[in-house]
Formats: sequence, structure tokens, C-alpha cells
Amino acid sequence: MEKYEKLEKVGEGTYGKVYKAKDKATGQLVALKKTRLEMDEEGVPPTALREVSLLQLLSQSLYVVRLLSVEHVDGGSKRKAAAAAAAEGGGGEAHGGGAVGGGKPMLYLVFEYLDTDLKKFIDSHRKGPNPRPVPAATVQNFLYQLLKGVAHCHSHGVLHRDLKPQNLLVDKEKGILKIADLGLGRAFTVPLKSYTHEVVTLWYRAPEVLLGSAHYSIGVDMWSVGCIFAEMVRRQALFPGDSEFQQLLHIFRLLGTPTEKQWPGVTTLRDWHVYPQWEPQNLARAVPSLGPDGVDLLSKMLKYDPAERISAKAALDHPFFDSLDKSQF
Amino acid sequence: MDFDLENPLTNFDDRFPDKTFLFLVESDHMPSEKYLAGLRSVGCSDDLSVRRDIVSLISQLCCNLDPTLSYLAINYVDRFLSSHKLQRPKPWVLRLLAVSCVALAAKMLKTEISLADVQSDGGGFIFDAHSIQRMELLVLGTLQWRMRSITPFCFISFFVSLLKLRDPPLRQAIRARASEIILKAQNDIKLLEFKPSITAASALLRASQELCPLQFATFKSDISSCSFVNKDILLHCYNEMQDAATEGFESALDVHSSSDTPINVLDHHFSCSDSEMTNVAASTVRSQRSLKRRKTQ
Repeated sequence: MEKYEKLEKVGEGTYGKVYKAKDKATGQLVALKKTRLEMDEEGVPPTALREVSLLQLLSQSLYVVRLLSVEHVDGGSKRKAAAAAAAEGGGGEAHGGGAVGGGKPMLYLVFEYLDTDLKKFIDSHRKGPNPRPVPAATVQNFLYQLLKGVAHCHSHGVLHRDLKPQNLLVDKEKGILKIADLGLGRAFTVPLKSYTHEVVTLWYRAPEVLLGSAHYSIGVDMWSVGCIFAEMVRRQALFPGDSEFQQLLHIFRLLGTPTEKQWPGVTTLRDWHVYPQWEPQNLARAVPSLGPDGVDLLSKMLKYDPAERISAKAALDHPFFDSLDKSQF
Repeated sequence: MDFDLENPLTNFDDRFPDKTFLFLVESDHMPSEKYLAGLRSVGCSDDLSVRRDIVSLISQLCCNLDPTLSYLAINYVDRFLSSHKLQRPKPWVLRLLAVSCVALAAKMLKTEISLADVQSDGGGFIFDAHSIQRMELLVLGTLQWRMRSITPFCFISFFVSLLKLRDPPLRQAIRARASEIILKAQNDIKLLEFKPSITAASALLRASQELCPLQFATFKSDISSCSFVNKDILLHCYNEMQDAATEGFESALDVHSSSDTPINVLDHHFSCSDSEMTNVAASTVRSQRSLKRRKTQ
């Protein structure tokens, strides 16, 4: 890890800290993510092996943030561990539990660095010196790239499960959007709180997850894509709940309280309660600047029954994208 | 819809939106040109004997396991040796590399075997977990954790779908025979230079020539008209593949006469009648299927 010079902490990934760093040899900017590699008596754990290699394969796509390198830091080596600790910035926040340099094997994932993310991008259009709508062409273009990336992951059997604007990196100059924070869902269980005890956002979470469904599939990501689509148009979150219960109420107030007829089995989900009976509102009113094709696509992403929700692959063929020049992708 | 998250041999299927992807990345999972040149060069047989020894060790270690496991392990070895040239390595180094690559492949394929099981072939050195772990990490670092190798098996379904085969038993037989040829082709250093997709397409052509010669010409034009396939390279590979294909098909018993071909458990698989061979490969395919099914339940 001596190869990289840590510049600043840029974020709190779900699985640990993320640093902006510079490759000392080439000057290339990178994002460094650190995860602990728990060894067992059978050597490198199979879950970590399968997931990092999956990430390595998926990140070859243009629509997924590129994994440039995987660096293992041997916990047994004091010198290397100390160097890694130095790269950490000496904040004394090593979450290995033991003393810094005390020797837990670590894995550093080195990703390409993009200058901003979709959250900051949307924020810059909502507030600041020059508030303005996100151009319709940009919404269309970003949504298409997002769907390309999601379709790519799904075709490899991978659910993202935490799609949100902060996880979508953006290159403003080139108009590129890429999915980040992907794939480490099995070996590294999804925590409810991140390492700084920031509450993980619920705004993009699908109703079946909020209702405690034991089985979920590609629909969870498509729900998130719908929320992100609406947020690009509105410049504010569609369902900004601050607890799981409030999150559901936000959803129900707009889309109506789900019924067994709409969504067979909903009332038998683990966390289902009796809710106020809201009637569905006109979705177009929540996204006033969006045309009818856009509203139609959005409504298909926000279907209550996960089985009815549109897939990423089908969404790419939706008429909303008819006016997009697809040859650029 | 459920997923087959754990299958490292990524496969084309109906859900695949972007068929170009595997073709774009397949070259990342191949041995280097330099390494292959070393294997082929006349004066430098060291590389070749190192590879042959390791392949033979892996075959011993995997003798009762799914042949795709040894295929994957040998792929790791070839890619590892592409970056680390071993100069007259001690036998235990070769064995440690073989054991570690088998252990990694077994983890990737979710084959439930322990390190003790892997090493129970009576082949001498028994390594402790720490040594194997260090070797595993060395291999992982060298391969940059790209352990989901894109192999020819990833492309079989795609090419079979181009062949408009209406008869399911024939389709199954061609797949099975092509899989055997692919396994066999890994022993032939002449064939290592071809991309996995070309190897898969050639193996399917070889299989169809054996099993349904009347349709062969149509299949050849179906596959060569695919935009991802370079027709000249395909034919080159197809011609080079003759040995691998006929060895398994006809003269299975004299595998030892081919000096370049290491003794391999696969040869033993093929030391049986043609119909049995088809059964062996077909049951391999079936067992992978049933494994998939179990996972998705």
C-alpha cells in the first residue's frame, strides 16, 4: 500500500472508509476501500474469494466503477501493517479492534476515482449559486447508464441492494455515470449502521424489504432505480422517511396503501401492520416536469408487487428512451 | 426469479443483455504470450516440464472430483506461471502451488472439500494451513483476484443457441462431447493460445462433425458468421484441435504415446467406450445443473 498517498477521506462506504488517494508512480487518482480479511483454518475464506472476484469481473463493465487493483496487507507483517496504518491517516480509527498495526489481515480495494456522485450533482442543481432543473436529456442519459449497469449486475446474478445517489459516481465533463459500492453483500453483511454510526438511508429501500420479506430479488434494485429517477427530476427525494415505519407511510401516501389484490401476500409479510387506508395519488403530480413516457416507466418501477416491477433489461427498451441516441453506449 | 450468484463459470443466458461483455474480457483470463512462447520453444523444455508436472499433480489431487475443478485450477496455474517463472523449482514448491490452486478452485466452485481431503492423495508432502494460505494469497495477488475465469465453458450455451438444434438429445450430446474436448484441449499446449470463445466454438464444431456430420457444414457457417468470431482463427483452432478430439474419441488407450500430453485423470475418464464417454460428460453437465437447481431453491 506504500504505492498510494492518501489525500482525504471522501466517504463512508457501507463496509468501511473510503479515501481519495494518489498512485505515487503515475499520479492517477484512486478511491481506496479497506475491508478486513478474516482468515480461517481453510485459508482465504470462500465468501470473500467469490465476492471480490465477482466484483473484479463485474467492474470490467463501463457502467460499474472499475476495480483497478486488489492489495492484500498481511497482518503478520508489522512493517506493512504500519505502512497501511500510516496510509490510514493516523486517525486512530482503525476498526480492527486491536492496536493499529497489531496485525489483522486487510484487503484494500483500489477503484478508479470519479470527481462527484449523483447526490452532489443533484444538490448542485437544487441549491448553491445557480439552482436549475437537471436537463431532461441528462436525466434520460444517466437513467439509461444506471439501467445498463443494473442489468449487467443482474445478468450475473448480483443484486446491489443499496442503490442510492451517493453510490452512483458521476463524471460531469464526460456525462458518465457508474455504479459503485457493489457486490460485497454476502461476505460482508449489510450493517444497519455504518462505521460512524450514521444511519444507513432508507429512502431507496423497497417496500418488501421494509416489510421484512424473507425473499427478495431484482425488484429491490428496480425500486431504488425508480426512486433515483424521480429524484433526478424533482431534485429532492421521493420518499424521505426517517424510520422504517415513516418510510412506509411516505410510500403509502403517494402510491396508496397496498392491498392483497395489488400485491398478493403483502399482509402476511413479517412486519406488516394495519395502516391507514390511503388512496393512490396521481404519480405525475410528484414529478411535474416529466412527460407521459417517463411517468409510465416510473410507475412500472414503483409497482408494489415485486414480480410485476419492470426489469432493467426491459426498462432499457422502454419508449422513454426512444429519443436517446443509443449508439453512444 | 432466483439467482445463481455462486456460479463462477459465468454463463450466457436469456437474461444476458450485453453479449459483448464476455468476449471483451475473456483475454484477461488467458496465459501470457510470453509464457506460451516459452512452452513452445524447443530449446527451453523447463517451462514445459514444470507445467506438465503441475498438471499431473493437479490431476492426482482432483481424481475423484468434477473435471471442471481441475480445469479451473490449471487455468490458475497457467496464469500464475505467466507472471512467475519458476527456475528449476523444488518438487515441494510445485506441489504447494498445485494444492493451493486446487483449494482456490474448490472454493470458487463451492466444492466441499477440506485441505486435508485435497492432500489425501498419498503424494508426499502435507502442507499446513498457514503455508497454503500464503500460497493462496500469492496466487490471488498475481491473478489480481480475477478468479472467475472466463473459460470455454462460459461460451458453450451461447454457441449452441446459434446452432438451431431442434433435437434436445442431440443438443445435449453435442454439448457433452464439446465439454470433453475442451477438457482435453487444456493438455495440448498448441491450443492454449486460442481465446476461450474460439476454443468453445471449435470444440462444438468438432463434436458436431463426430455426432451429426450431415449438419456440420451448416453449423460451421452458423458459427463463423457470428460477429464475435474470427473465421480464420476459428478454422485454425479447429484444425489444431484434431488431436485433442480424436485422442479422446478413438485411441483413448494409448494416451501415453503422446509425449506432450501429461498423464491426466481426464485420460482415464476417456478410457472407455464412446457411449460411456458421452454418459460421463452428460452426467457432469447434469450434476452441474442439479447443483444449480439446489442452490436456487
